[in-house]
Amino acid sequence: MSATPTPQIAITGLGCVTALGADATSTWEALHAGRSARGPLTAIGVDGCRVTEGAEASLPSWPSWPEKRLRRLSRSTRLALPAVRQALSEARLLDANDRCLLPRLEMSVSTTACGMEKGEEFLRALWSKTRTGQSARVAQYQSQAQTGAIHDLFGFDGPVMTVANACAGGGNAIGHAADLIRSGMTDIVLAGGYEALSELVFTGFDGLQSLAPEACRPFDRGRRGLMLGEGAAFLVLENADRARARGANILGYLAGYGQTTDTHHLTQPAPDGAPLERAMRRALEQGRINASDVGYVNAHGTGTPFNDGAEAQAFHRVFGAGQTKLSSTKAALGHTLGAAGAIEAVLCLLALKSGQLPPQINLLDPEPLVAKALVGHGEKADLSAAMSVNLGFGGSNAAVLFTRA
Amino acid sequence: MNLSLLSAGGVTSAGLGPDAITAPWPVTATHSHGGVPVQAGLIEQKDPSLLRWQKEPRLRRASPITYFMVEAVEQALQGAPHLDRGRTGVVASFFLGCLVYSIRFYRQITEEGRRFASPVLFPETVFNSPLSHVVATLGLGGPVYSQIGDKTCWASALRTAQCWLANGDCDHVIVLAAEEFDPHEVDALHSGGLLRGGLQPCEGAIALLLGPSANGPAIGAIADGYDFRTRQEGLEAAERCLAEFSPHTPLLDTTAAWTRTAAAKISRSIIGPKAMPTEGFTLSAAADTMRALDIVASGQSPEVIVPVWGLTRQVAAYRVTA
Repeated sequence: MSATPTPQIAITGLGCVTALGADATSTWEALHAGRSARGPLTAIGVDGCRVTEGAEASLPSWPSWPEKRLRRLSRSTRLALPAVRQALSEARLLDANDRCLLPRLEMSVSTTACGMEKGEEFLRALWSKTRTGQSARVAQYQSQAQTGAIHDLFGFDGPVMTVANACAGGGNAIGHAADLIRSGMTDIVLAGGYEALSELVFTGFDGLQSLAPEACRPFDRGRRGLMLGEGAAFLVLENADRARARGANILGYLAGYGQTTDTHHLTQPAPDGAPLERAMRRALEQGRINASDVGYVNAHGTGTPFNDGAEAQAFHRVFGAGQTKLSSTKAALGHTLGAAGAIEAVLCLLALKSGQLPPQINLLDPEPLVAKALVGHGEKADLSAAMSVNLGFGGSNAAVLFTRA
Repeated sequence: MNLSLLSAGGVTSAGLGPDAITAPWPVTATHSHGGVPVQAGLIEQKDPSLLRWQKEPRLRRASPITYFMVEAVEQALQGAPHLDRGRTGVVASFFLGCLVYSIRFYRQITEEGRRFASPVLFPETVFNSPLSHVVATLGLGGPVYSQIGDKTCWASALRTAQCWLANGDCDHVIVLAAEEFDPHEVDALHSGGLLRGGLQPCEGAIALLLGPSANGPAIGAIADGYDFRTRQEGLEAAERCLAEFSPHTPLLDTTAAWTRTAAAKISRSIIGPKAMPTEGFTLSAAADTMRALDIVASGQSPEVIVPVWGLTRQVAAYRVTA
């Protein structure tokens, strides 16, 4: 039996909406200016919570859609649509009317809360015996409403795989897109994640006392918790031969993907970070890249004592105290849960392209194990490979390895 | 990549065990929506086979759906005792997910105040928590995904299994469907127009242990991702989807609620018994896979097309061959 060569996987489009910007460029610039999006929350009710701040995004306008129609959509849909548009546009897959040139395009997507505020509204209306408007709330809550809105707006359909692997889901969605291309089941996938702030999720993290009462300080010895955020990011992944044949602009390559499940505890990683280490090593192995060749790791780095402690150990064992740089952009953008892996993949690709590294902000007293690796303001590097790492509730781990175009 | 069935596990209102998957699922309870009674097929949660899982330290606070899932997967694993669990992946599909705890937690937020909602409950509301409990309790070491969507996410989960096996990511995959019932679901289904047509919601879990097919009955080509917004478009989506398969291959009757009317307009021969009146969403989709495998194994037809009517957004279908 002759072995089929493994296809190279190119990224030909990317886009994001974050609390620091309505697109990838503005987000990138704000990150390098050292800004944090932390502020009072207005999109959801937080009265009575211990922490009342987070990273709230401004909902981008959509000139071709009337405001009344937009208001019917969930907040998460409204964050996802512009990110999809940016990615498809950069991949040259949109016509002049913003319709997708491919009538069928597979999607691999991540979310943890879908259109949660619509579900919350449904329950509140039910309990207060309000019967009007319930069908719209039900329709907009589930994940198929968000992916369906993407289909409707851009005029395509196709298989949709929505993974809900908690905060690792964004990495899983992108990794799965690569797996689909590797298996030969498809040759192009729109992959990403979206997440909007919601009362249920915010209150849940607040109740667990996981939220930082002040600035979020990943990899700082004085870290006290995470900052919740919201956003969306999408990438177009494509068999590189196909991308070259159609003259697409290749932004980078997805070289490897590793995923593991940490069975230590439902909400806490194994203290030694061993399952995460396995995910990172699998991604390196698949990409046939030495750890020493990875110039930058975008960490999960939530700023909680447990996460960052385990992650620092895993990072140290895989990359040592060498040249690999590390930062968590969640101090600036907030933790966007199911969107995090997708947003951070976009940032890895921008770092590979520009050689600029996202700085680790809010650092006062660095965790000794990774102190030398943490990125300072204005740092640059000649990167050939970068890795995005995510961990989630339930022990989901994902590591996605990118290389420069 | 064709998938063959090695073993199965089921937790349905018909009981516990593989036979409970394709047996008629009885309705066991009546819930009222606006004075209209709705019958539901619920699990006997005091069954000792389910209660035994409460002794597992990790599962003490777990949601009902977790117990359904861990029991169904354990049954499937018992059917293949020599399996390398470290090389076995799991993909779970949900239409509704952790409904009971999610609603209970949000009720605490609204009635008792944000500061008083139970922090213990919150992590159990997360979609992938039940599957993470399953993996930790039963020692499975392959890739793990929790997938969500309308009923077609069962077909998407089968496709994920094909992908993992094709890439050599694992040797076997357990594809799992699970749903749990909460009375609020009746209101949501009513608001979504899904109760019309006599839909009887039910709960449980079905686990199919699948491997690469050598010979014998197998799940083959999957065509998924055909969109609709209206019920008329649903029929058109089904016709587009089914055009991927030979027009001479009979269809399994997998309809529920409004899809019965739409499916009646499709001119294809139908095989097998009429679909059960109870509707477990992904659970029903998993049972349909078993019914199709039984049909080809019994020689009634060498091939069957299994449509998956997503109920809200998409249509999918796949071929099962002898």
